[in-house]
Amino acid sequence: MAKERKRRQPTDAPSPGDDDGERREHRREKKPRKERGDPVLPSQIKNKDKRKEVHAKLKSEKKAQKRRLARERSQAVQRAIELGEQPPEKQVPRTIENTREPDETVCRPDDQELFAGNDADEFNAVLKQQTMPKVLITTCRFNSGRGPAFIEELMQVIPNSCYVKRGTYELKKIVEYANNRGFTSLVVVHTNQREPDALLIINLPDGPTAHFKLSKLILRKDIKNHGNPTSHKPELVLNNFTTRLGHRIGRMIQSLFPQDPNFRGRRVVTFHNQRDYIFFRHHRYIFEMKENKIASKDKKAKASESKSQPEKQVICRLQECGPRFTLKLLTLQHGTFDTKSGEYEWVHKPDMDTSRRRFFL
Amino acid sequence: MPRTSVVESPGCPPLRALTADILGLIKVVEARTKPAGVAKVVETWGAPDASRAVLAASLADRAVDPVLAVARKNGVVELLNPLNGDTLAGVKAAGTAPADSSAEEDPLATLHLFRRHAPDSSMFGTFLTCTEKGKAYVKSVAKENAASDMAVGPSSSWDVSNSGTVQFSSVDAGDSYAMFGGKGIEVNLWDITSCSKIWSAKSPRGNSLHIFTPPWFTAGTFLCKDDHRKIVACTNNHQVRLYDTASQRRPVISVDFRESPIKAVAEDPNGHAVYIGTGRGDLASFDMRTGKLLGCFVGRCSGSIRSIVSHPELPLIASCGLDSYLRIWDTNTRQLLSAVFLKQHLTAVVIDSHFSTEELEETKPKQQDTLIEAEVEVRRERKEKKNRTSEVDEDRTRMLNHDYSDAEMHTPKRKKSGERSKGMKKKSKKQQVA
Repeated sequence: MAKERKRRQPTDAPSPGDDDGERREHRREKKPRKERGDPVLPSQIKNKDKRKEVHAKLKSEKKAQKRRLARERSQAVQRAIELGEQPPEKQVPRTIENTREPDETVCRPDDQELFAGNDADEFNAVLKQQTMPKVLITTCRFNSGRGPAFIEELMQVIPNSCYVKRGTYELKKIVEYANNRGFTSLVVVHTNQREPDALLIINLPDGPTAHFKLSKLILRKDIKNHGNPTSHKPELVLNNFTTRLGHRIGRMIQSLFPQDPNFRGRRVVTFHNQRDYIFFRHHRYIFEMKENKIASKDKKAKASESKSQPEKQVICRLQECGPRFTLKLLTLQHGTFDTKSGEYEWVHKPDMDTSRRRFFL
Repeated sequence: MPRTSVVESPGCPPLRALTADILGLIKVVEARTKPAGVAKVVETWGAPDASRAVLAASLADRAVDPVLAVARKNGVVELLNPLNGDTLAGVKAAGTAPADSSAEEDPLATLHLFRRHAPDSSMFGTFLTCTEKGKAYVKSVAKENAASDMAVGPSSSWDVSNSGTVQFSSVDAGDSYAMFGGKGIEVNLWDITSCSKIWSAKSPRGNSLHIFTPPWFTAGTFLCKDDHRKIVACTNNHQVRLYDTASQRRPVISVDFRESPIKAVAEDPNGHAVYIGTGRGDLASFDMRTGKLLGCFVGRCSGSIRSIVSHPELPLIASCGLDSYLRIWDTNTRQLLSAVFLKQHLTAVVIDSHFSTEELEETKPKQQDTLIEAEVEVRRERKEKKNRTSEVDEDRTRMLNHDYSDAEMHTPKRKKSGERSKGMKKKSKKQQVA
């Protein structure tokens, strides 16, 4: 074989030689183009091996550059600290949230009309602790699958809530029933194909009705290392409800819970709004004293000193308990549930989605 | 780059509108020619108080001595000067009874202030108001001892109906006929001078399944200025109906519009078009001669529309509602001219048509804007700047594109020439080989 190759080489040599020559010419022609400023992208190269090579090279270059820049930045900061100067400003990444379209409906802390509006709205009695919140939970007519389990967990989340079987009653009748028994809110869990998919919160007796889409439901038993909540009144965290509409929704959610949490219970319920999606989480927390790691290193070096002053730090540990879901507001209706003659305060319409950076809550 | 929406508003002509909201505030919105047709809040009258929420408002739109009347939740009808916001008089509409208790049971539903001016100037004005349970009152407010509650001149009252709740009333341009309607009340026409019912509508026949829908009227207006016989009434059952009182008691035309109840209606000064607003925030215009939909005012309205008014001279309408925006629309192009955020749920809007900018600038020095407005302006400026920069960028990119295209134009030629040269070389080589 080797001999054959040897033999063949001289015979075949001229034609590939010619090709090579042409290729070289090609390259010569391409090189000045590269210099002009439009580099050949790896995706334009047809030979896979070559493409891989170029791509790997590009990638490693980029990575190295990134590392170099980061190092330079950190060095600049260190230098500034050593010299006692003002460290250079930290770069803030641009996100969809912080490049949100300007919105004149965002609440301002100095707005007197906002506070007057708060005092006049439907949630005021509950939020001023004049009445205890009392929540009735019911379902749609056909409730199965994860619905009952979800309701069980929801009842552990919301204190002073009770479940009433829907039966074949109309929702308007149930609103009437709940009004007569002094409930302050009504929560309806709607299931579709054995999966909870919507949540309706109605403030009673004549408050607004909010219709949420419910998604990403994870029940307690599916959460790893979950805890079991106690029956203490939970603390409430409402994040990022900034606009006038968001403020109203926040107050509505707030009115589901008692306003005097048991801090001893160390139980916290979070409604976190991000890009109009409201994320629900339920946690237990604990504060613990923990020895600092740096302090322990010091211990080895200077055993005698550290023994006299054991450095301790307070850390907070979280344990998630029970359900995890995401809500998205679809409509906010003025008055209690009424589909035929209802007036809407806010309806999500598709032609409102003009931008990814426009948010309503 | 992400898509961004830019409000391309052609700007509104000089305009003055007054809005009333559920906290009892009355806000004046003005658009002037100098800051390029941007409407903004100029003044706010009253202190926020939910018990004094405005339920209805009406403006006697006169060049001399205009009066604004507002019906409040506590049963008081207040007459204001729409130029400076001074309270002229406050009258309890419900008459002699202690109104505090009656106002809760039977709040005022509608209000109309008569436009014709009293011959002697001892009167502030005469208004017609109606409670939800159907008690209509006509009262005149005299100028002397206006501070006391009993400062009422000649008045009359009658019962519109015994059952049902009144939801709207409307008075024709000549101020002689009034129309009422509501939940369980058919549209009925009254002669104001004689306090007698002239005409009442009849429910349309049941549909093909013989299902009868009980009457529930939510809004209505007289179609023409000079003709009190044509009435447009809108139902909770999302229907727009045209009644001709001269010909028959059943509706002449009945048109369905979408799925949500119609909450507001306003007539166009041209005498055949009407503008309707629904509970889901849809705004549309209908031609009532044919009953055809002329078009919708698309986009941006997200809450129920409570009130629409059309400008008597300019081709524009103003709408407001539960989304707490006052929006001004062009009726010809159906485009949004301007939108102002007013923080509360709005209940009524009126347009002051005798507003001219020169006059105002003479009389009043420029008022200090509130912080918010200033910021809004700053934002607008920024937006404009952005637009400019984006335009510049676009220009640049265009330029670049031209360059590229030029380059593309040039390169193939070069290539061709290169190929030619190669071909030449090949040929020469071959020749050499040969």
